[in-house]
Amino acid sequence: MKLPFIYPGAECSCRKKGCKQESRMPKIVLVGNPNVGKSSLFNSLSGSYTVVSNYPGTSVEISRGKGRTGEKEYEIIDTPGMYSLLPVSEEERVSQRLLFEETPFVCLHVVDARNLRRMLSLTLQLLEAELPLILVLNMMDEAEERGVEIDSRKLSQLLGVPVVGTVSNEGKGIKELKAAIEEFSPSKTVKKIEYGAEIEPYLAEIGNLPETGGESRISTRALGALLLQEDKTALEWVCRDEKLTKEAGCPEKSFSRLQQLTEEASRKAGAPLHYLIALKRQEYVNEIVEQVMTFSGTKNETGKEKEEEEEEIYGPLTGKAKHGAKKLMLAEKVDSILTHPVLGIPVLLLVLYFGLYRFVGVFAAGTVVDFLENTVFGEHINPWITSRFTALVPFPLLQDLFVGEYGIITQAATYAIALILPIVGAFFLVFSIIEDTGYLPRLGLLVDGMFKKIGLSGRAVIPMVLGFGCSTMATMVTRTLETKRERLIANLLLALAIPCSAQLGIILSVLSGSPRALLAWAGVICLEFVLIGYLASKVLPGRNPTFILELPPLRWPKLSNIAVKTYSRMHWYFLEVLPLFVLASVLIWIGRLTGLFALALKVMEYPTLWIGLPPDAAVVFLFGFFRRDFGAAGLYGMYDSGALTAVQLLVAAVTLTLFMPCIAQFMMTVKERGLKTALAISAFIFPFAFLSGYMVSTLLAALGVSM
Amino acid sequence: MKIQTKIENTPLSPEATRLSSMETKRRGKISALETKNPGILQKLMAMGVLPGMPVTLLRRVPSYIFEVDQTRYAVDREIADHIYVSY
Repeated sequence: MKLPFIYPGAECSCRKKGCKQESRMPKIVLVGNPNVGKSSLFNSLSGSYTVVSNYPGTSVEISRGKGRTGEKEYEIIDTPGMYSLLPVSEEERVSQRLLFEETPFVCLHVVDARNLRRMLSLTLQLLEAELPLILVLNMMDEAEERGVEIDSRKLSQLLGVPVVGTVSNEGKGIKELKAAIEEFSPSKTVKKIEYGAEIEPYLAEIGNLPETGGESRISTRALGALLLQEDKTALEWVCRDEKLTKEAGCPEKSFSRLQQLTEEASRKAGAPLHYLIALKRQEYVNEIVEQVMTFSGTKNETGKEKEEEEEEIYGPLTGKAKHGAKKLMLAEKVDSILTHPVLGIPVLLLVLYFGLYRFVGVFAAGTVVDFLENTVFGEHINPWITSRFTALVPFPLLQDLFVGEYGIITQAATYAIALILPIVGAFFLVFSIIEDTGYLPRLGLLVDGMFKKIGLSGRAVIPMVLGFGCSTMATMVTRTLETKRERLIANLLLALAIPCSAQLGIILSVLSGSPRALLAWAGVICLEFVLIGYLASKVLPGRNPTFILELPPLRWPKLSNIAVKTYSRMHWYFLEVLPLFVLASVLIWIGRLTGLFALALKVMEYPTLWIGLPPDAAVVFLFGFFRRDFGAAGLYGMYDSGALTAVQLLVAAVTLTLFMPCIAQFMMTVKERGLKTALAISAFIFPFAFLSGYMVSTLLAALGVSM
Repeated sequence: MKIQTKIENTPLSPEATRLSSMETKRRGKISALETKNPGILQKLMAMGVLPGMPVTLLRRVPSYIFEVDQTRYAVDREIADHIYVSY
């Protein structure tokens, strides 16, 4: 996930469109497998900040920053993780496209030193593409702990490119890396892979086709290999050139020649070409790894060693590896509890209870908000500002805009600072700790079976949990899901049933007075989540997704990373929230002047009354159109003034949770899924939320329950 | 470690078994991948699950957890069925 850049001196953070300045600075592009520490390295090199966590798929967008080594300034580009130059998921394609389009001064291929055998294959592909390359062996400390030793000089000789070892999250090796960048010059002696008789003739022929001669950033040979593997981006690239040469009269004929070649090759080979190509590459990789990597410990290879064997196995190890082995044993034990089919559940409930309910709900949304809103703002800041403002500006109209009931200061700023920020901050703090330990992927495998019933795979746990923080961010992260169908279901459920942290915190706090109402609320929302997910998976065509996830090692979260990450997310959130809150205040002000506000309230009163709430509550839902948290904040206001009974609070909480996604999330859904789908999702959710509220209220009334 | 480059759609070695029915905590070697579903095949290969790699199954429930080289993966039954293993 890419969040805000916190670097002052930059005029252009390149998040906005239209500021795609063609930078003159030489570019450094970071590429590599997911979860190897690219973002962490990006942060060290550029002095900017992009979010770092411990699971694959943290970055789904490209981040750009500026960095300096020695005298020179560089543009530094961080990319989403890619396993291979031939992408499977959308975020990998983002990185692949970047390599097609950019002209880097140097590419840093970042690999996890422990897993050289799995990662060198991409190095070979990047070399084949003739990209200027430095290989960065990251996480050297973890490799050493596991007794993995790598002869980087030999590796550099074999590959023909510089090799640098780093520990990016501790800043080790960065100096050496910068030196290597300064001295870098593209090498000419790159190792070439021979793919054998099944592939080579076709590769040669594709290379001779006119379309592949176009000016691509990657070598003809690499382009040819991608075309043989029927890669979409490579095909598009070729088609693009084809449009240019259409007048020359060569188009479709030779294009179909390409297809013909691919078909012929795979028919003759009797197996998918990408399988053959990958196997061939791995042969080269194994050859290299055999020469440069040695193991002195084998602990983690099977995970079954008994403790008494420990001494024997680790006897000859160095101190570091021995210490590492102890650490691994502990991680191993914790891991086996987290992933245990039975023991895993109580752990999850504990995390939810303490992390979400006690900390975010009761502490942040209860104690902290109460203090900030009622004491700090309510008793000190707001009365003071109001009296000053009224004295200075004698126009009631302007007074109303700034310090009135819905004023910019008295409502927008107070809500944003006193109500939303502490809750969101608390959630992001908990979330940062959880994600840095590597717990999320383990949660994913735990719930995969259940998630399959609602058309999702365990992988969807990450956006779903993130959705409890901010559904807008989470909608962006659904990109890591593999099928369109799964992404659509995830977007729908995020928009419908997952409350964002501000909403959740307020609802937890408002309902905490009545445990029965709280349980009923949680029950209804869970039920909706499962029911709608189940129905969606039945209605939508296509197959259920398959589940495959790399499990990162369990790690102790680092305080500095958590602090900086929480801060950066709050910063992002606040900047996004405040303008919308202010806008809402202004719109309401205009609406009240023109009478439109009263009209809109009148309209909203119908569904509000219908679900058994007092007409005053209409304003909460009207706010909900702007932002979910804004609506929730309105609910808090009504609760504070004691205007609602417990049953009404429950009904309002249910309706508001299910209610429209906020504007920001809606825009993100439009961006990820398209306008039509986003509108369809909203058109379903709006009546459905009120229908659910109606059912809850009618049911409770029929049963005569009072909470 | 030598990779088996000869491709067979079903592994014929008598000891070969699918990862899903592999004995837990016993070290084996990936002998082949099922090639019928190109999407799954490509994903597995890209993630470094390739013939010739050492493999150990750690858990079957709640998902299949296995280790290849130094990395752990969690997969569902369908994917576990795509990996053939020999001891």
